[in-house]
Amino acid sequence: METEVLTPINIDDSRKIIHVDMDAFYASIEMRDNPKFKTQPLVVAHDPRLTGGHGVVTTANYIARQFGVHSAMPAMKALELCPEAIFKDPDFTKYRAVSEQIHQIFHEYTDKIEPVAFDEAYLDVSEDKKGLGDAVLIAHEIQKVIFNETQLTCSTGISYNKFLAKMASEYSKPVGVAIIEKDDVAEFLKNIPIERFRGVGKKTVPKMHELGVFQGADLIKMSENDLIHYFGKFGYTLFRWVRGQDDRPVEYLRERKSIGKEETYGKLLTTEMEVEERLRVIAKNLLRAVLKRQKHGKTIVLKLRYGDFETLTKRITLDEFFQNDVETYYFYAKQILDEIADISRGIRLLGITLTNLTDQNFQEVSLPLFKHSE
Amino acid sequence: MKFTIARNTFIKKLNAVQRAISSKTTIPILTGLKIEAEEDRLILTGSNTDISIETTISTNDEEAHLNIESTGAVVLTARFFGDIVKKLPDNTMLLEVKDGFQTTITSGASEFKINGLDANNFPHLPEVDSQTTITLKADVFSEMINETVIAVSNQESRPILTGIHFTIEGNKLSAVATDSHRLSQRVINLPEPIKMPEDIIIPGKSLLELSRMLDDEIDTITLQISENQALFTFDETLFYSRLLEGLYPDTSRLIPKESSTEMEFEAPELLASIERASLLSHAGRNNVVKLTINAANKQAIISGDSPEVGNVEEEVVTKDIVGEDLEISFNPDYLKDALRSFGHTSIKMAFTSALRPFTLVPTEDQENFIQLITPVRTF
Repeated sequence: METEVLTPINIDDSRKIIHVDMDAFYASIEMRDNPKFKTQPLVVAHDPRLTGGHGVVTTANYIARQFGVHSAMPAMKALELCPEAIFKDPDFTKYRAVSEQIHQIFHEYTDKIEPVAFDEAYLDVSEDKKGLGDAVLIAHEIQKVIFNETQLTCSTGISYNKFLAKMASEYSKPVGVAIIEKDDVAEFLKNIPIERFRGVGKKTVPKMHELGVFQGADLIKMSENDLIHYFGKFGYTLFRWVRGQDDRPVEYLRERKSIGKEETYGKLLTTEMEVEERLRVIAKNLLRAVLKRQKHGKTIVLKLRYGDFETLTKRITLDEFFQNDVETYYFYAKQILDEIADISRGIRLLGITLTNLTDQNFQEVSLPLFKHSE
Repeated sequence: MKFTIARNTFIKKLNAVQRAISSKTTIPILTGLKIEAEEDRLILTGSNTDISIETTISTNDEEAHLNIESTGAVVLTARFFGDIVKKLPDNTMLLEVKDGFQTTITSGASEFKINGLDANNFPHLPEVDSQTTITLKADVFSEMINETVIAVSNQESRPILTGIHFTIEGNKLSAVATDSHRLSQRVINLPEPIKMPEDIIIPGKSLLELSRMLDDEIDTITLQISENQALFTFDETLFYSRLLEGLYPDTSRLIPKESSTEMEFEAPELLASIERASLLSHAGRNNVVKLTINAANKQAIISGDSPEVGNVEEEVVTKDIVGEDLEISFNPDYLKDALRSFGHTSIKMAFTSALRPFTLVPTEDQENFIQLITPVRTF
């Protein structure tokens, strides 16, 4: 089949990008801190036998993975696959702290760091702070330093763009380093199953298979027109990715997308009065965080978790920015709460998040309509 | 119940009542339209928790060709029923309610049978037994609503600000609305003075619906007020609105008495400039424009800077500028709404300082109509 190019492919291979992906991050931390987990299948998730079957797997160690357990799988399913698995409640405070420690290490090499999650980041080392000049050397050093300081392993992928760097780190997992250069792209992607391409998810896979696209070699045969016809903007992107073009920068200055505050209660909240009181406190803490960062937002999200771990979130978006004051946050959070919550079920967690944020470099002056309020 | 009626008259009345009917309501029967046939008239009623509308068609109405064969009442799902009536083939329609509220609608060769509901379960409309009846010119009142409703707040966090505050004393009726970033106030003279002063807050949304019903054919409307309802009556229609409870803030103290810079211009001229400037401010992240006044050169410049898209600058055509130089930033949408409310007229804009509210009044009538806008503080 002949491919018809609508827009030219321009490959810029001048950048040096490393994708660092921690190996089974949460599970590895738990095994490090509790060595007896090392020899057993470990699943980091709330135990479905205690939550009434709710919850999903955040990570599983490599032993549990041999049973077919993987992240994002319902915890109940993991239990079926591996009845002897140990379920460990996730401790995000701890994981965040380790993640910060690892970021400190990245900063010794470059400040162009784009965090994707606690356990994953892109580094642009086109210019590195230590003047090493060689991405492979930097990747090896980072792996070594991370291991020395945290006893955790990671996989790194190196290439000239983000898509390929991520592909390479997945290929090198665990504890590996892989590099993809411009001339290797076609050969490397040829045998990669289509579902391994970033962004090709549950919905896209069957459509791809129907079109006869099972791996990279099939994808590269698709015309740009067809890809755009079937997959829209993502088709345009895929057409470039499979040819080794991805110009997305490492977004190290990326704006914070949201600011949120939440609280967990050991003793469940069961009365409207308790809930209102806590909601007001959260609104107050949120306001402090928002003001500190000089932001304002157009969306308020309420998060609520019941005693049985069922978690609900709902949002309200306005055309104008929410006024940054406790009353406004509280009012809208309460409005959502009244709509979705059944307080009698017992509430374990409450959170308010302000999102759709913009720097507050302007502020509308308010008329002093209500005394004490402004 | 059984009657025949001219479909076009019926549709006109149906459209009016449907303004009060919402398909999203917590009370299922309120998604319905109540039809009541009496000896000599047909009554259509629709209601939601905020407004209720009742309208009457008399057998004396020649255009309606109303012929009531038997009396009775039924409630029919409004949207559904409305769609049917609008698509019937003939100009005459016959409606008959049989046992179990099954309703037959016949027109030309078409016959629909739909399920109705017991009209006894339809809520009773509020009783308004007021001593005072205020008579208003329909066109003037409609204008008053449209001039002030723009400043009503959409944010439910301050419910009272979602309404227009009316005060009536002697023969003066004043309306004020504010969302705390702008304020709009209009005063009109009543044809007849009233004895007891009144002070009410009516939801802006109710008034907007009301103003849409006030067409050129309606000359006067009357207003009666009870403890928690306002009742507007015109032609054969009753329009009820819930009143908002609470004390409206004292807004008179917010209107500046003095100014240090004044600018005069034709409303459409400035409106066009602002509309151009806001093209960029809307595309950017910050919806702000700046007005720079150079009094000595009698020059006013509107500018907008949206780093992501670009910037704009233009000199405004003004009739006069007096006072001190000034640089002030504001939300252009507020000024657009205010200018539109004036129509084709000459406006005087008065400022005190960059962070104080500024006002707009028609040059011809500086007492009875004022729009106030608060500026934006830029960092």
